[in-house]
Amino acid sequence: MLATTLSAHEDVKTAVRRAAPRAGAAPPEATRQAGEGVGVTLRGVSKSFDGHVVLSGLDLHIPAGQFVAVVGRSGCGKSTLLRLILGLEAPSDGRIAFESRAQRSPTKRIMFQEPRLLPWARVVDNVAVGLGEAGSRAAKRERALAVLAEVGLAEKVGNWPATLSGGQRQRVALARALVSRPGLLALDEPLGALDALTRIEMQAMIERIWRAQGFTAILVTHDVAEAAAMADRILVVEDGRVALDLKVDVPRPRRHGDPDLAALEGRILDHLLRDRPPA
Amino acid sequence: MARTLSHLSARLTPWLVPAAILLGWQAAASAGLVSTRFMPAPTDVIAAGIAAARSGELWTNLGVSFLRAATGFLIGGSIGFGLGLANGLSRLSERLTDTTLQMIRNIPHLSLIPLVILWFGIDEEAKLFLVAIGVFFPIYANTLHGIRSVDPQLIEMGRVYGMSSGTLFRRVILPGALPSVFVGLRYALGIMWLTLIVAETISASSGLGYMAMQAREFMLVDVVVLAIVIYAGLGKAADALTRVLERSFLAWNPAYRNI
Repeated sequence: MLATTLSAHEDVKTAVRRAAPRAGAAPPEATRQAGEGVGVTLRGVSKSFDGHVVLSGLDLHIPAGQFVAVVGRSGCGKSTLLRLILGLEAPSDGRIAFESRAQRSPTKRIMFQEPRLLPWARVVDNVAVGLGEAGSRAAKRERALAVLAEVGLAEKVGNWPATLSGGQRQRVALARALVSRPGLLALDEPLGALDALTRIEMQAMIERIWRAQGFTAILVTHDVAEAAAMADRILVVEDGRVALDLKVDVPRPRRHGDPDLAALEGRILDHLLRDRPPA
Repeated sequence: MARTLSHLSARLTPWLVPAAILLGWQAAASAGLVSTRFMPAPTDVIAAGIAAARSGELWTNLGVSFLRAATGFLIGGSIGFGLGLANGLSRLSERLTDTTLQMIRNIPHLSLIPLVILWFGIDEEAKLFLVAIGVFFPIYANTLHGIRSVDPQLIEMGRVYGMSSGTLFRRVILPGALPSVFVGLRYALGIMWLTLIVAETISASSGLGYMAMQAREFMLVDVVVLAIVIYAGLGKAADALTRVLERSFLAWNPAYRNI
């Protein structure tokens, strides 16, 4: 089973290279500045699995540095959209292009719903996974420590993941995703399994780091309130298309229970729930 | 002080039952409840042990048996580990060999003794062959199972974060398979002693099993019991060794932290 997935992965890699033709000379990581988000453009992107159409003829432009939330019912294709943008799947049709002001090919990182930490690696080593294989151990460790301090886990660098709480583990996963200073961060329902208070804290932390670093963020979520609280723009995906594309014109920092956000949330929920019998 | 005491009692508790059995046994023998012709008193066994140790016979036989066990274990264990890795990582290798191995696995390896004696006589090869075969299967099956049960989400994470196949194996697959490999190791160590003793009892001219069989012919029941006690000690030593290894290699796993 492993062998087959390995070769499938090779295909995906080449597909990524095709989709992102820009692979110029890479300056050292440390010289990268904040505000280097990656813009994403999808043209006529379709994806089907075994004849079942998940996404059809999607046209979408996400400007560099924007925080986009993608909401929709289960199975509407929102996770597939994320996997296509990350290059984990190749589109059946259409093109995905990336533009970045930096010379190097943009890094794209993902935060999964589960932390997916290596249980046998200490917290700092788990974060260093995000830096890839190049570079000295000491330099990687130093950068991992800096990011861990940023997510408030400076005390836990030497811990095993098993000794952390769910929220702390997800913060380690966030640090791992951010340590390479990605141009794009994909968030695949990363807060779904956390309790309500921890979730609100994590939302604030992700928002704060996003504002400081300026990467492009794409958040896939079931939680319309979370989308409204965090995003610049909300895409409602339905039947493989973008059914609604809404701007969130509420200044940051946003307050929970803001009437404008609540109105927006209501509008999206009305849209998602109309003409459908309760599940 | 109280903590040292409770620590000490925690370490001693497992030995209470063996000590009680030993005392009861000694009392029964001294009181003449059991005939020492069939069951010697612990003191007789200790005396036999001292005598055998003095003459050097015990050390020679122990050394021979240990060397056989270790060599057979290394041969069978490394082949089992290698094939387990290969079949866990490669579909082709698994298709090619797994059915054959599963068929051979169902043959009790000790049933091969007559054949092995025909092939190798009662030389070293016979014992090494049997130990290697006995050790092979638990290590093979558990390594294969370990690799299969590595969390696919972690493998996907490794790929997304750009790990090469080599790094993925070293940092994700092998450590993930390790707890299961250790289970195989424990089984294999038990089978290793069992096989060796049976092989030495049936056909050998040296080793612990041979020492016990020799003693039986001369009705030296204290030496027979001595050999059995030594097996118990060796089994315990092998188990303790795997625990030490587990504690250092699997320290990340809460299930192994406080054994």
